[in-house]
Amino acid sequence: MSGGAAYLSDLEVDALTELVNIGVSRAAASLRQMVGRQVFLSVPSVEVVSRSDAVTLMAEREIGDLVAVRQDFTGAFAGRALLIFPEANSLALVRAVTGDELSEPEMRDLEDEALAETGNVVLNNCLATMANMLQRPLDMSLPGVLRGASARLFQLEDAPASEGVVLFLYINFAISERDIRGYIAVLMDLPSLDALKTLIGEFIARVVGPSSAAGA
Amino acid sequence: MAAADAGESGVDPEPPLKGALGLWAWDLVGETVRGDARFAALLGVPAEDALAGLPAQAFFARVHPDDRLRLTIAVAGVAQGAEVFARDFRIPGEDGVRWVSARGRAEHQPDRRPRAFTGVLTDISEQKRVEERLRIAQGAGGVGTFEFVEGFATVAVSDQFCRLLGLRVAASLPVHTINALVEPDQPPLIGGAAEETTIDAEVRIRRADTGEVRWLAVRGERRPAADAVGPTTLGAIYDITAAKVAEARLRELARTLEERVEARTQERDRLWNASRDLFGVVGRDGVYRSVNPAWRRLLGYDEADVVGRSFQDFVQPDDLAAAQRQWVGGGAGAALEDFDARMRAKDGAWRWVNWTVIPQGEAFYAVGRDVTERKQLEQQLRQSQKMEAVGQLTGGIAHDFNNMLTGVLGGLDMIQRRLSEGRIADAGRFITGAITSAERAAALTHRLLAFSRQQTLDPQSVDANALVGSMEDLLRRTLGERIDLAVELDPGLWRTAVDANQLESALLNLAINARDAMADGGKLTIETANVRLAEGAADGLEAGEYVQLSVSDTGSGMSPEVMARVFDPFFTTKPLGQGTGLGLSMVFGFARQSGGDVTIYSEVERGTTVRLYLPRHLGEDVQDLARPVAAAPPTGSGEAVLVVEDDPSVRPVVVELLRELGYEAIEVSSSEDALQVLRSPRRIDLMVSDVGLPGLNGRQLAERAREARPDLPVLFMTGYAAGAARRSEFLGPGMEMISKPFAMDALAQKIREMIGR
Repeated sequence: MSGGAAYLSDLEVDALTELVNIGVSRAAASLRQMVGRQVFLSVPSVEVVSRSDAVTLMAEREIGDLVAVRQDFTGAFAGRALLIFPEANSLALVRAVTGDELSEPEMRDLEDEALAETGNVVLNNCLATMANMLQRPLDMSLPGVLRGASARLFQLEDAPASEGVVLFLYINFAISERDIRGYIAVLMDLPSLDALKTLIGEFIARVVGPSSAAGA
Repeated sequence: MAAADAGESGVDPEPPLKGALGLWAWDLVGETVRGDARFAALLGVPAEDALAGLPAQAFFARVHPDDRLRLTIAVAGVAQGAEVFARDFRIPGEDGVRWVSARGRAEHQPDRRPRAFTGVLTDISEQKRVEERLRIAQGAGGVGTFEFVEGFATVAVSDQFCRLLGLRVAASLPVHTINALVEPDQPPLIGGAAEETTIDAEVRIRRADTGEVRWLAVRGERRPAADAVGPTTLGAIYDITAAKVAEARLRELARTLEERVEARTQERDRLWNASRDLFGVVGRDGVYRSVNPAWRRLLGYDEADVVGRSFQDFVQPDDLAAAQRQWVGGGAGAALEDFDARMRAKDGAWRWVNWTVIPQGEAFYAVGRDVTERKQLEQQLRQSQKMEAVGQLTGGIAHDFNNMLTGVLGGLDMIQRRLSEGRIADAGRFITGAITSAERAAALTHRLLAFSRQQTLDPQSVDANALVGSMEDLLRRTLGERIDLAVELDPGLWRTAVDANQLESALLNLAINARDAMADGGKLTIETANVRLAEGAADGLEAGEYVQLSVSDTGSGMSPEVMARVFDPFFTTKPLGQGTGLGLSMVFGFARQSGGDVTIYSEVERGTTVRLYLPRHLGEDVQDLARPVAAAPPTGSGEAVLVVEDDPSVRPVVVELLRELGYEAIEVSSSEDALQVLRSPRRIDLMVSDVGLPGLNGRQLAERAREARPDLPVLFMTGYAAGAARRSEFLGPGMEMISKPFAMDALAQKIREMIGR
C-alpha cells in the first residue's frame, strides 16, 4: 500500500502495520477468551490518508449506513479510534459474540451494548498494545456507538475536515465461520501523527538494535 | 501448509503457494532459526547448519540489506505479540537475487510471551517476475485482474482493476463495493454466475469517481474448492465501452436504415407531389412514363391523360422543331437546358414552360417551370421599349422637322412679303432656301424609311469611286477647315449594285458622325477597295466579292458599351433633340438591304473605322452616276394623263404641274372614279397613281386598267411602299415608280420618258 507515503515512509508503514498486527492479535486473543470461540483477525493493509480522503474512501467502499464504536484517547498522541462495520454486519457481529443464544428482540436490545463491548476489546487492545510497544501511556475514554454515513463518523467537533489524518486499517474478522469485514480508523491531528512518527522511529531503532534483532 | 498450522481454522488469507517449501522454526528465546534442507538451500547456507540451528544474526545476514530492517521489524512484531508473520524478501545468491516469501504464525496465550513460531519459506522469484510482467501488461492493456474466494467478503484485485472501476487503488475490495457500481439491470460483476466454470460476461458499470457509464468485459475461470476454502474465481476485466458504443451505433443504424430510406423516399415523394414545376419521366421512345400532379394544376391533365402518350403531343410544333435542333446540336447524352416551349393545356390554351431535360439511363428526366407570366412580361417590356423608342424618335424628328419647317415657312413668309412689296427679284434667294429645307425634310423621311427598311431602293450599277469623287467638295464643306479629308480610291474598283442616293446618304452620315467625333479636329480618310470574303469571314456576309468602302476618323472612339449599341435604332450619344440616332442604323439597314453589311472598329481616344461591304455587280453599266444637269423641264404636247391621288394637298400640285408642262390632266380621287375614266373611251396616254389608295390600291388599279388598256403606262407615286420594297418585284412592264416627296423636275422627266416610249 502506498497510501501513507505522503505521511510515513515504507519502513514506518511496515513498522506501524506490525504494531497494529500485534494489537489486533491481542484483541483476537481477548475476543477468543470472551466468546469462547475461534476468532481470527488480520490487517491486510494500513493506510494513512487525509480526513477528506477517508470520507471518500469509505463512501466508495460502503454504500449503506455504518455503525461505529468510538473511543477517544489522549497521551503521547491523541485522537479518536473507530471500529467501523457496515450496519448490515453489526447484528451478525452481535450474534457471533453472543453465541446465537439470544432471541432476535433480545439481541436488538443488546446490540449497542454488545457492539460497545466488542469495540472496546478490539480498540483498547489495539491502541493499548501500540502505546505499550511505543512505551508511552495512553488514556482511553469509554466506548460509544455511532450510526450514520461515513462523513459523519469522521467529523471532529473542533477541526475542519481538511485538517488531520486518518490511520486507516482494513481488518478481516473471522468469528465462528462468519466472515465480517470492518475497519479501524484512527483519527489524529498532524501533531499527534508527528508524535506517532517519532515513536515509530524509536521503536524501529530499538528492535533493530545490534544486540536485539528479535526484540526484547 | 505447515505442520504448525494444522490445527488452524483454515481461514488463512494467504494459503502457502505451490513450489519448493522450506520449513522453519524460530526460537525467540535462543534467537536461533532451525530449518530443513530446502530452507537451507533457499537461504544459501549448509543444510547441517540450518538443521542444527542458525543464529538469528546469521539468518538476517543472508537477507538483502534493503529488506533486512523490514524483516527484523516483522520478527520483533511476532515476539511482541503479533500472530501473523508474513514478509517477502530478497536473498542475494551466486545466480542472482532470489525473491522468497516467509509465512508463519505464532499462537499466543494472554499474558505470556511467545517462545517460538514456525512457518514456511517459498521461492517466489518466478512469481515476482510474472507478477511484474503481468502488472506492466495489465497497465498497458488496461486489463484488471481479480481473485475471489467464494464466501469471502473481499476480493483480491489488481491496481488496474481499481482504476477501471474508478476506485482508489487497493489490494482488496469488498464484493459489495464492486457490485454496487454495476448498473441496476446488470448481473453482478463478482460472484454472479456461481454455477458456471467459465465466466464470460459484459457488464455496464458507473465509475465511482466520475459517474461515467462504462462497459466492462468480465472473463474468468471458476476453480473447484481446494482445502477448506470455497471455490476460487480468477478473472480479468477490461473496458469495452468503445466497442459497445460502436456496436450499438451499428445496430441502431441497421434498425433505422429502412426507416431512413422510407423517410427519404417520402421526402422525394413530397417534392414530386408538392412541386409547382412539371416533373416528368420520358422513355427513350418519347413516351411519358410518369408525371407529377403539377401537370393537373398547370395544364389540367391527370396523370392518366399524359402517361403513355408521346411528349410531342403536348409541345407546340414550332417549339418542338426548335428543341430538336438544339438537341441535335448538343450531341447524344447532352441535357437540354433552359429551353422555352409552349405546352398545350387540356383546355386548348398554350402555356410557356421552361424545360430542363436530362437523359439518364433509359429515360429522360424533365423539369418544367411555368414561364407564361414571364413571357407576357417580356412581351410587355418589348412593347414598352418600342414606345420608349418612339418617344426618342419623336423628340429627334420633331427637332429636325421644326428646323426644316422654319426654313420652309420662313422662306415662304419672306417671299410673300417681297411679292407684296413688289421686290420679286429678291424672292429667288428665299425660294432656294425654302426648297433646301424642304429637301432636307424629304431626306429625313427617306432616312426613317431606310431605317425601317421600308424605303424603296432603286439598285443601280454604281461606281463608288465616282460617287465618292463627286461628293468630295460637299464633304470638305461639311467637315470644315479643322478636319483633313483624305480620299484613297482603288483605281480598279469593281462596280456595285446599290441605290446611289442611299449610298451618298450613308457616306454623308458616316462623315458627319466622324466630324462630330473629332471636335478638336483630325483626319478623315475615305478608302475604297475590292475584297473577297471566304465563307464565315464576316458575320452576316456570304462568301463572295465585295466592294469595301471605309470611313476612318482619328476622333474620340467608342467604348465597348457604346459599340454594342451603335446599330440600335434611335441610339445616340448626342444630346436629345440634336440627333435622331438613326444615322448608323440607317447605314446598317441600307447595307443589309443591299445584300451587304457594315462592320465597325473603334478604340477610345484612337478613332473609329466603319467599313461598308457592298456586293460586286457584274452586269453592264446601266447608267452613269453623274446626273444630267436638269435642262429645261421636258414639256408635253397635249397628251392625256390620268392622275389618281386621294390626298387633296398633293393632287392639285401634280395636276397643276402637268398642265404647266402642256399635258391634259384628268384628276380623280379614288380607284372607282379612275376605273370609270379608264373604261370610258377617253384618250389616256399615262396613268399617274398613288399606291396607297383606299379600296383598290394603286397596283390593283393598274391591273384593272390594263384589262381595258393593255399598253397603258403607269407611274406610281409612293410615300410608303410596304409591298414595294424592291421596285423590280412590284412593277410590271410599262410601270415606273417615283417616291414622294419628289421634285417637280424629276416628275416631269419621268412622265416625259414614259410617254415618249
